Amino acid sequence: MTAVLERDTTFDTRFATEPYEVAWAGEARWFVQHIGGDGTATYVTQVSPDGITWCDLDALEHVVEPGKLVSWPVTGFGHWLRLRAKVEGSVQVRIHLAVKA
Amino acid sequence: MTTSDVRAALLSADPRLSKFSPLPRILAFDEFDSGTHGWTELLGNYNGRGDLSTVDDHMRDFRPPQLSACNFFDIGTHGALSGTYALKLATRPHKGHTAVAIRRLTMSGRGLVQLETYFAFKSEATLGGGAELDNFGDVQWDGNTHPSEAQFGAFTVATDLCGDGGLRYHTVARYQNTDLDNHFTRRWMAPTVPEPTPREHFEGKVKLEYAADFTAPNPEDWQAFGEPQELCYNEVPTKVNWHYLRWLIDTDKRRNVELQVNDRVMDMRDVPVPPYEERYETLENLLNFYFSVRTHSSVRNFLFLDSVLISVDW
Repeated sequence: MTAVLERDTTFDTRFATEPYEVAWAGEARWFVQHIGGDGTATYVTQVSPDGITWCDLDALEHVVEPGKLVSWPVTGFGHWLRLRAKVEGSVQVRIHLAVKA
Repeated sequence: MTTSDVRAALLSADPRLSKFSPLPRILAFDEFDSGTHGWTELLGNYNGRGDLSTVDDHMRDFRPPQLSACNFFDIGTHGALSGTYALKLATRPHKGHTAVAIRRLTMSGRGLVQLETYFAFKSEATLGGGAELDNFGDVQWDGNTHPSEAQFGAFTVATDLCGDGGLRYHTVARYQNTDLDNHFTRRWMAPTVPEPTPREHFEGKVKLEYAADFTAPNPEDWQAFGEPQELCYNEVPTKVNWHYLRWLIDTDKRRNVELQVNDRVMDMRDVPVPPYEERYETLENLLNFYFSVRTHSSVRNFLFLDSVLISVDW
């Protein structure tokens, strides 16, 4: 399944995506696309035991520059996934989460 | 033994179907333990270049439905009625925000159409904060009633139907748990006007803001039907009790017929079904169903569906 967690949303400050349940999934991959804005953002995958309280999954930071599409796999997650992001400048973001059983 | 006797025996002997009362032809039987079965996010229309900035503001963020094990902070996995997973519609924590899941079919006939589901509705749990969070709306936590219940706004089941030369209309049933001031109303409602469409926006007739009520934005355009009904929220935000809903409409007469929710059956034949005055193209025999959930607070609202069965008499 593919979920579009942000659809061309503009951010100029740090943000996190809405909680998404992946209890059924064994594989996941983020696709983060900057379709507008001249800023850069740094993304970190987060996990949660309950969809309310969050921590970083790992120490990997994924930098996305203007006009770029960046993707990375996620393993060893629990029943929830989201991204947190630090933003420099303004970014218009499209975020897909692809998950498989 | 007649054919209908055999059919009734087969249905009643099937533990997956015997909790439903289908009309003669089953179009869809969606147990969400095995996937989303075509229930997908609704998005407004966009231009020929895929420019999503042309999507109406109030129709651009209806959120993807999720397969949920009904996981909660206090008890872990609750699970669904028919297995582990349910379909979950989740709003953002933004007053007025709506999440929508739609299923798209077409009609091969006219007549009775019935949608049945087992559903539950919850607000997201609040963790932490001060004693003031024991109060919300009409509720003071007393060990039985919980402020979470007053943080749930409304859920809706509806159709989008078109045929017979582009005549388009919606049938709608909404359970309004609270009004926009978070006071309990616990009533069933339907709009007296058709839903604003992207074409009406394109033609400059309507422009709605983000988080507007897309089904009918003006609260005065809603009319209650039946008597108020208290459902089983079950005290706290992490207990899931499944409710039965059966909704019957007639696409030959373009009318509602009746709505059953648990032990209550409401006659809907006099509930208005206002058609659009202008005809629509590319929608011939459109048969869409949607569920939505709308928060009237800054707390995420959830609608869980265990399963949906759609059946017809044609």
